[in-house]
Amino acid sequence: MTLFTKTGCEKCDYVKHAVDLEGLGVAVEELGPENPDALAHLAWHGLVTVAERQLPILVLDRERYLTGAIRIRKFLESGGHA
Amino acid sequence: MGEVMEFGGTGTPQPQDATDRVLFVRTSDMEIASWDRARIVDALIRETFLDPDTAERVALAVEEGIQRSRIEVLTAPLIRELVDAKLIEMGLESARRMHTRLGMPLYDVEELLVQPNRENANVPHGPEATNLTLAENIKKEYALLAVFSQDVADAHMRGDIHLHDLGFIDRPYCSGQSLEYLKKFGLNLPNSLANAHPAKHPEVLLAHMVKFSAALQSNFAGAIGWDAVNLFFAPYLEGMPDRDVKQLAQMLIFEYSQQAVARGGQAIFSDINLYWEVPKHFEDVPAIGPGGAYTGKTYGEYEKEAQRFVKLLFDVYLEGDASGRPFFFPKPLVHITEKFFKTDGHEAFLHHLCEVSAEKGNTYFVFDRGDTAKISECCRLSFKLEKSDLEDAKQPWRMRYSALQNATINLPRLAYRAGGDDTRLFQNLTGMLETACQAHLEKKAFIERLLSQGERGPLSLLTMNKDGQPYLRMHRVSYLLGMVGLNEMVKIHTGEELHESEGAFRFGLKVIAHMKLVSEKMSRHHNMHFVLEQTPAESTAYRFAKLDLKYYSPQAGAAVRGDLSRGEVYYTNSTQLHVGSPTNPIDRVRQEGLFHPLIEAGAITHIWLGEEKPSPESLANFVTKVFRNTHNDQIAFSPEFTTCVACGRTARGLEESCTYCGSDEVEGITRITGYFTKISSWNQGKIGELHERRRNRGCFTGTPAEGGRRAEGEAK
Repeated sequence: MTLFTKTGCEKCDYVKHAVDLEGLGVAVEELGPENPDALAHLAWHGLVTVAERQLPILVLDRERYLTGAIRIRKFLESGGHA
Repeated sequence: MGEVMEFGGTGTPQPQDATDRVLFVRTSDMEIASWDRARIVDALIRETFLDPDTAERVALAVEEGIQRSRIEVLTAPLIRELVDAKLIEMGLESARRMHTRLGMPLYDVEELLVQPNRENANVPHGPEATNLTLAENIKKEYALLAVFSQDVADAHMRGDIHLHDLGFIDRPYCSGQSLEYLKKFGLNLPNSLANAHPAKHPEVLLAHMVKFSAALQSNFAGAIGWDAVNLFFAPYLEGMPDRDVKQLAQMLIFEYSQQAVARGGQAIFSDINLYWEVPKHFEDVPAIGPGGAYTGKTYGEYEKEAQRFVKLLFDVYLEGDASGRPFFFPKPLVHITEKFFKTDGHEAFLHHLCEVSAEKGNTYFVFDRGDTAKISECCRLSFKLEKSDLEDAKQPWRMRYSALQNATINLPRLAYRAGGDDTRLFQNLTGMLETACQAHLEKKAFIERLLSQGERGPLSLLTMNKDGQPYLRMHRVSYLLGMVGLNEMVKIHTGEELHESEGAFRFGLKVIAHMKLVSEKMSRHHNMHFVLEQTPAESTAYRFAKLDLKYYSPQAGAAVRGDLSRGEVYYTNSTQLHVGSPTNPIDRVRQEGLFHPLIEAGAITHIWLGEEKPSPESLANFVTKVFRNTHNDQIAFSPEFTTCVACGRTARGLEESCTYCGSDEVEGITRITGYFTKISSWNQGKIGELHERRRNRGCFTGTPAEGGRRAEGEAK
């Protein structure tokens, strides 16, 4: 799983502080002007326009993703069962 | 200095000792004047920063050289060359540059007058076209010498970057606007002999639209696009019988198709944006009707009239011209939105659009997902409407958008230079983008200089002010950054083409992501709107390939596409997969579509049909799936045709001879990069591409696979 975040995004910070991402094996990609890898990864998942409207985004696999800080937190806290 | 200098007191050359000879000059004003060294001095002082003493020394040296020579006839260009040679000899390079004469060799002019121009397939061959080309050649030289710095000009000349439309250096690139401007203000052009009030009749509105398009073509280098044409015509159509509305539709399409009498004998590169539904941002806008008066209704109330007009427009597209050929212009761009699918009658209309796609190929499907709204034009250019633009939509005449220039990066060249080193590749890519940015700053400064002369200046049309701001709204201008040959770049750098592996594809995404981030950084730094666009690259893909073969062989020999032995070489356009890759249409649309959200100013996927004629149902199904399940911005289906010069009939597919009368006097027609045209006018690179296009035979008999994604917990 990958969590796409951005500097200055309060909801992103909320998820990062509320959940042990490292412990759950969630990779964090921080979108920003110096990180084309993260943007390319986001584009690979077809989520560029989604990210323009809302962050964070949790990518579950090639087919599924979640938005909304609370939903993401609950999903991760439940051990990956939405 | 004059045109021709001759020896002899009567104007007839007299073989005498050089010291006794009297020199005459045939001046630019078509007079014969006596030789006067002071005119060289005057020119040097006027055109350069030389002081009078140095100018006098140069002129004297040139005069002595002429007198020593046994030249029978001197031309003014030769005198200027002699002066320039002397300036170089004396170490005065800066003055030499400023004193340069622009022009073309006699041989080139003769070739031009006799041979067709193949840089742009939309330029025919004729006296007016050669006028255009001659003027363009001088303006190109001027641009590279006087508008752009040497670093920028050299980058263009080497083929690191391509600065588009240098022959139109004194104009912005392209323009998108609203009919509401004409409906509200009438047709009032600076320097016009007659001004017109707002049109009272639909035919007059059409005449204003066509005339204004021609005027805009004289002030912009490229495409002229019109927003929501069927909707803005609608208030004029109430009460008109279908027969008359169809006639109006026919007039509109023929007027643009037959405009090969405008600038340089070109047709106006025209686009009409069309909607089945009333776009959300126009729903509550008060409608302007005949005479420029508000009708008392909103545009939301004109849905049926707008639908009637757009349906009849596509009836005309379906019929084609008198020979059954597809119309080349105006290009119909139909916006597919969420609201489209919620609007009554959309199924039948989509079927109609797809029938036109299958039969003639005209329809462009522009996908505006979510809250996105845009005006599209050119080969794929889009102006995405920002929040402030949607505010402008309440007064739609204010909706005027322009791109000032297009600068394209030669991506394969970066890979040759990087030698497989990622760091070097991305550093050089940033450097190229900075050069392109510098080119934009320099063009902007030049255009602003012209605009500063106001309504008495060369761009008076763009400075006219009818609504509190100039026609060209510089604060909303875009600066385009294009790319050519991503596929070949990735192949050179990683060993695989985009379609050959996930790794190669994702590397391609990283390159474009990098370009996007750099362009955003430049936008912030310069407070200008730098955006990526998929370059149409009609001639650039050919030019870059040729230059790379020259400078980067043998590597380039293995990377460029096409037939090297015939000189039909090219790079793949922009971020597209190679035209010949064995990728089925839905995968192509889906994969190419992953790049599109990174390319704000427009992207397209072409689906080459060849002689195949899919059913409208299969295409409608395909279009719906593309909207729902991909991120693709725009698609077009491109069939091929053979039209017979002898019998005037048109058949499907590209044939050597006419299938009706057997004549071999035939013309092939298909889409070159973003528009239909005759293949005989294509450059060699595009011919090479045509041979390698994969035609997708039999691909539309089944249902395309779903390729998109959906959020967990959202509608399934």
